[in-house]
Amino acid sequence: MKNPIAENKPGPNENAAASTHWVRVQQHRDRWSNYQGNESILRFSGKLSVKQLKSLPLFQNYPDEFLEEISPDISIAQWRGGAVLFEEGSYVDLMFYVIRGNLKASLLKTRENGDGANRPIFATRLGKAPAQDQPLVMDQTVFQQKISALEAAPEIAALSTVAFNLQAGETFQLKNGDIFGEIGALNGWPQSVTVQAETDSLLCQIRLPALRKMKQQSTQFKEKSDAIYRERFLAAQLRATPLLQDCDETLINQLKDRAELISLSPGKTLVTEGEAVDAFYLLRSGNLQVSQTIGSSMATVNYLSKGMTIGEVELLLEGMENWLWTITSVAYSELIKISRKDFSELMIQSPQVERRLWADAVRRIKESGYSRKHLDQSELIQFSLRKGLVEGNSILLIDLETCVRCDDCVRGCAATHNGRPRFVREGEKFGNFLIARSCYHCEDPVCLIGCPTGAIRRANVGDVVEVNEQLCIGCSNCANKCPYDAIVMHETDSRWPENALPEHLRGRERKVASKCDLCYTSNEGPACVNNCPQGSAIRINNITEFQNLLGRD
Amino acid sequence: MLRELTIYLRPYVQSPLMLLGFVAAFAGMSGIYLLGQTFWEMSAKTSWRVFYGILAALLLLAAILYGYRRRTLQQRWGSSQTWLQCHIYGGGIFLLLVLMHSGFRVPSGIITWSLWALSIWMGASGLLGTLLQKWLPKILASGLSIEVIYERIPELIGDIRQKSEVLVRGCEAPLSDFYRRNIATALQGPQPRLIYFFDITGGIQTRMRQFNYLHSLLDDRGKTQLALLTEYYKTKLEIDAHYTLQRALRCWLFLHAPLSLAMIILLIFHLYSIFWY
Repeated sequence: MKNPIAENKPGPNENAAASTHWVRVQQHRDRWSNYQGNESILRFSGKLSVKQLKSLPLFQNYPDEFLEEISPDISIAQWRGGAVLFEEGSYVDLMFYVIRGNLKASLLKTRENGDGANRPIFATRLGKAPAQDQPLVMDQTVFQQKISALEAAPEIAALSTVAFNLQAGETFQLKNGDIFGEIGALNGWPQSVTVQAETDSLLCQIRLPALRKMKQQSTQFKEKSDAIYRERFLAAQLRATPLLQDCDETLINQLKDRAELISLSPGKTLVTEGEAVDAFYLLRSGNLQVSQTIGSSMATVNYLSKGMTIGEVELLLEGMENWLWTITSVAYSELIKISRKDFSELMIQSPQVERRLWADAVRRIKESGYSRKHLDQSELIQFSLRKGLVEGNSILLIDLETCVRCDDCVRGCAATHNGRPRFVREGEKFGNFLIARSCYHCEDPVCLIGCPTGAIRRANVGDVVEVNEQLCIGCSNCANKCPYDAIVMHETDSRWPENALPEHLRGRERKVASKCDLCYTSNEGPACVNNCPQGSAIRINNITEFQNLLGRD
Repeated sequence: MLRELTIYLRPYVQSPLMLLGFVAAFAGMSGIYLLGQTFWEMSAKTSWRVFYGILAALLLLAAILYGYRRRTLQQRWGSSQTWLQCHIYGGGIFLLLVLMHSGFRVPSGIITWSLWALSIWMGASGLLGTLLQKWLPKILASGLSIEVIYERIPELIGDIRQKSEVLVRGCEAPLSDFYRRNIATALQGPQPRLIYFFDITGGIQTRMRQFNYLHSLLDDRGKTQLALLTEYYKTKLEIDAHYTLQRALRCWLFLHAPLSLAMIILLIFHLYSIFWY
């Protein structure tokens, strides 16, 4: 494929239209520059025209205006044979569509050899692979620990992300017309396999914003991605769900074929209190708010996160025909729906599943009952949902009962980041805790969406979201998108050079987005916590930890 | 046993193990001293007394290193919390060692007396600081709805003043007069008050009495304006409470930290005089 960038550059005397086009081409290049910089990419396209997009089967059914709208988030790259596109455990906000070439998906790092298991959480991961084999996004080793922790937590039945039904050492061939990476991108999950180009491969790369729009726009695309999910992931996920452990293959396959895949956008109601119960649900990703009528209004009594189930109480208890709760999505959520009939068959065929569901049902009733009786618990859940704490993977709390307001946390942060603190010791209070204005490192980081240069992205470690200052053009998109006001634009006391791209930046004051990066390159961990003399700065990973801190566990 | 004790102490102290270590060291040192007093001849030049002095000097240096750790934010040296705990408990042991070194008597020489007096001062001011750091944050967290950064207080009050002035410009006689007489002065800057140490609300109900009376005299528009003004005033009072207590938390350090330098200088003189004579 020829590179449109080289071809489209106008001469000095060419007209204004060509110049505008040139600027757009450059803006497009900026958007993808972090990918272009990868040494494994031999060639990289400029912005694709509607005609070029329509030449690919994937885009043929979309209207022209829609393709024009999403085109800045689509590019074509030619990858060198042998290059690793991404490793298992890495976060990729892209879907790949194979135009031409052969690739293989495999579990490179077998669980047996425990590669990386002992690496410190806060350590740089540079220099691991030879430069020519550097993956697009490196892996993160905390993932496995996180999954283990989820599986160990009694209230969460984690849906493991073991995908492609691969065993260690096995490979899966990806050929022309195949798509991959979309499940991780759409769900904010780390990739479950390593993908490597076997030959020089031409791939269409679609960033998350375009991907979401495509899924909403086209039922055909949704059906296709759901079919792929069903084929590659669903059986493995069902099998790995603690609820369905020990179930025989026939039953899993039966469920796999019959289950319906549901996507909810924020604010959408899944079930309404009092309406007839029609199905059982498994939450694949996202967060759901569980509300119940208390007095004359609705109170939040619980929330559900990845891996939890919905409907077992109503379906197990005899005579319970209607939903006890109203369940609403608070983020983009993906669910597996199992019809009432299939659920009943499952109960008959697998008594152990029934036992587990009874245990879950009892726990759910207890939790909701507790929240109804203890409104402070309900208040905390409501607050956490409203403030997005349920989305967060690392939330900075300050215990105001012990904090002596010395500001060492802020000074420590500033000292670690060239004199600029990455958080503000201000924010909402809950109980005796201040929720500092610091990045939550969200499960579904909306700040990533629409970054024109890809400067803000998942780092190589855990769920850390970082800003690459070299790529940031100071457009404030991420700062405006962040619902928690955790990204700050700051001046750099410098101006953009006269050869800067895009052109509109030239001569302007240079601004950079700044946010917490959890000090992930430091072996000592977050500076705010390490420098607090009173131990008042605390990082929590979920709401349960907050409940424990508040003494309401 | 140790495990149970640690679990029992955890809700009350930050580091139960360090507290236990401190108690053990304190008891051990006191025991050795009492044995020495009973069975051995004690004078300023006996090896035991010199040993206490050396230990005290080393602890003093270690305690001063905490200040360095804080100022330079040397994260590789370990967490600031651990350092502070070592500083507090080490400071306690230091004071005991100084007293043992001096034989629990007031020294007569000018340098030794100054060193001794400064040690007592550092111990006492350190204890005061520890108590303030336990007490004041609890008061601050107990009854205030806002949290403010100390350095931003003048700016925040300036904002409130500006908003209030804009509001009052559109008000009529009773309310604007009330503002000029009763509120305008309060919005000029932070006003520290001793009462906040004992009552974090600073007697806000009493202060609101006049507002309540005025409320009954105003029409609907005036009532809305007064409600806004009341909100601004309450926020200002909360900022004053923060200012008073946060200032105490900061000023206390001036009683404690700068004198450490004087102690080091006196210690050098003390060592010099010992080796010289």
